[in-house]
Amino acid sequence: MSELAPLVAADGLAVGYGAAPVLSAVAFDLRPGERIGVLGPNGGGKTTLFRALLGELKPLAGTLQLAARCGTVPQTERSRLDFPVSALDVALMGAIAGRPWWRHPGRAERRAARAALDRVGLAELADRSFGELSGGQRQRVLVARALVQDARIVLLDEPFTGLDALSIRRLEELLDELAREGRGVLIATHDVEQARAWDRVLCLNRRQIAFGPPAQTLTLDVLAATYGGSIVTLPAVAGGAEGERLALLPPHHHDHEH
Amino acid sequence: MLDWLTEPFSQGIMQRALLEIVVLGVVGGALGCWIVLAELSYGAESLAHGMFPGLVAAALAGIPLALGGAAGIVVAALAVALAGRIPGIGGDNGVAVVVTTLFGLGALLALSPDVPPGIQGLLFGDILGTSGGDLLLGAALAAVVVAALRLLHWRLLAVGFDRASARSVGASPLLADAALLVLLAIAVLVAVQGLGNLLVVAVLVAPAAAARLLFRRLLPMMAAAVAIAVVAGLAGLYLSYYAKVAAGAAVAGLMVAAYLLARAGAAVAGRPLRA
Amino acid sequence: MLDAFDYPFVQRALVEVLLLSVAAGTLGTWIVVRGLAFYAHGVAAAAFPGLVLADGLGFSATLGAFGVALLFALTVGQLAARARGGHDSLTALTLVAALAIGIVLASDVFHSGANVETLLFGSLLAVDAGDVRLAALVAALALLATWALGQRWLAVGFDPAAARGLGARSPLPDLVLLALIALAAVATLSAVGALLSTALLVVPAATVRMVTRRMLPWQAATVALAAAEGTAGLWLSFETNAPPGATIAVVAGGLFALVALGRGAHTMYTRTRGVAA
Repeated sequence: MSELAPLVAADGLAVGYGAAPVLSAVAFDLRPGERIGVLGPNGGGKTTLFRALLGELKPLAGTLQLAARCGTVPQTERSRLDFPVSALDVALMGAIAGRPWWRHPGRAERRAARAALDRVGLAELADRSFGELSGGQRQRVLVARALVQDARIVLLDEPFTGLDALSIRRLEELLDELAREGRGVLIATHDVEQARAWDRVLCLNRRQIAFGPPAQTLTLDVLAATYGGSIVTLPAVAGGAEGERLALLPPHHHDHEH
Repeated sequence: MLDWLTEPFSQGIMQRALLEIVVLGVVGGALGCWIVLAELSYGAESLAHGMFPGLVAAALAGIPLALGGAAGIVVAALAVALAGRIPGIGGDNGVAVVVTTLFGLGALLALSPDVPPGIQGLLFGDILGTSGGDLLLGAALAAVVVAALRLLHWRLLAVGFDRASARSVGASPLLADAALLVLLAIAVLVAVQGLGNLLVVAVLVAPAAAARLLFRRLLPMMAAAVAIAVVAGLAGLYLSYYAKVAAGAAVAGLMVAAYLLARAGAAVAGRPLRA
Repeated sequence: MLDAFDYPFVQRALVEVLLLSVAAGTLGTWIVVRGLAFYAHGVAAAAFPGLVLADGLGFSATLGAFGVALLFALTVGQLAARARGGHDSLTALTLVAALAIGIVLASDVFHSGANVETLLFGSLLAVDAGDVRLAALVAALALLATWALGQRWLAVGFDPAAARGLGARSPLPDLVLLALIALAAVATLSAVGALLSTALLVVPAATVRMVTRRMLPWQAATVALAAAEGTAGLWLSFETNAPPGATIAVVAGGLFALVALGRGAHTMYTRTRGVAA
């Protein structure tokens, strides 16, 4: 683990959409080369935290310091799948910032975008319409966008939802690569077991429940507080792992109006 | 046969009307694509009607229409935003209240009995009354719109694609919204001459909506929208000349007809329909 | 000052306005609650070419208007009534097409004696007995339907998904509401014209909504407010010779702005005093 200055430092952070905070008491830091899994139920504040990191929401209390701009890999249901953009166009969007406003992405930027797509394994699909790509491919295009941006901090909002096992593994490897390059990676996920493989976990349920290395942090108590009792313990399956395993009940999808 | 095609355009009036159509088509087709993609068609119609009193007031006071239009659209946009935030009222109701009131105000000013005759042209358009000066101004404004769209292309693209993550790539959604608003005001100013405030939205929405059904990449879409607008506008001029119908309404009607044709064509070809 | 009301045509216009206020007050509240403002505007605008066509071809203008309005209601209106997103261009273009067709018909095909402007912005001072009868019919139907179907309309308006679950599954009450709004929009055509129907059908209801939320007071107050605004607009229109629809729209809108400002001031006042608003 690098001992360099943190990329993100939050202390006593509270964020909300109006006068009242929906997420409070957040204190964590993200170091270069680190992968942090952000766990919590729907409506628990994962997306709110990401919005604060992106600068959309100002802190209501506490501090939030960022050493660099964030690149984001949002859930693609929010993007317009019928928008007339190719995968290359989306990757090129990463070249907008850091350029004077009258300069368009030019040949050099196009080369960088194609190289980024190549890195994520999508070189042949560069000119395909974004909406035609599969879920896993769309996620990778958005990672390519973050690469073109050369974002030091990368936020991924439940990037594994709806992906098959192969795509999940590909994406996980990509995230490991990003971390190895010295970027800080924050991944919001519902998969507790997946988060155990990362460097630290941050558990949120309207407030910060816990933060630290997964082995020490992901205790039954912490998980119960995070998911509010949707944890069940399953008895060992014959021929499978011994003892009890924790299982997370699939979250309910209410039609919340935020 | 050639006579039939060229006869209407032997007179200066119709020649200028034709050039005005081209100007209209360029502005409407290009900007229209962004409006349709952002699903702002109804919003654009509302704002166009909302800025009507600004235009009338400017015409009555003798100041440049551009100033009245600019003030008008800012007032309309602010009022719509404010009204939408009133608890219990909500977006749609707010738009209805603001637009009806502003449009009514404009009509009040425009149709009062002792008003100079040219004012009515703001409502219904007066394409056959296009002067050389109107043309020059229109062309200049069209050039501004096209240049601005070129400059803002990537920012508009990023915001339109995913508003929430646009900031992270350096594209401000607020700036994009403001830019579209200003460009919309300019487009309405240009189109009011030919179509009148009532029908302005035809050139802003119909050709672009048609092009969207036919093309999947943005630049071909924009080019097609301009082409459709100009061709439909030209056909409207012919219809107006030979069938003796109101020019503005004929042009607007044929642009909508072009959209319906494209929609039918897309349905037959089995393309997904995106209204 | 009030000798305007000595004239019989003004008296007839007044009766028309008062009857329309009943429809505006009752149906208007439903329009605001159910988010049907665009639908109401669209139906009125769509009725415009029907009106011209019927008038030109010699049959009942009202029937023609209602016919086209119904056509709109059954096709695009369904989309508009549900949710506009995704049908955004189509609904905007339908309005434009209706206007363009109406203008062409009125100016060039039928050379209607009726000025296009009066069709678009109202000719309240020229309403005839037929218009008044229609307004009376709509008022009566609106009252009856609100009494009979009000609860159903409220349930669906509050939570469409839950309403279906609660067994309010028949589409009939909703269709009745949409049809009534169409009829009311046609009835307002003579008074305020095809483009400003929402001045009577939406603005008064929205204004009162800022003051009260309970249905019965809301409806009663809206009827009263619409009547007042309509009368004031009528009087102003007579005195200044301005188109009546436009004057009513400006009066109604002005009052909305005043109430909104008053509310805003009140909220700020109570907030700064630390009093629970």
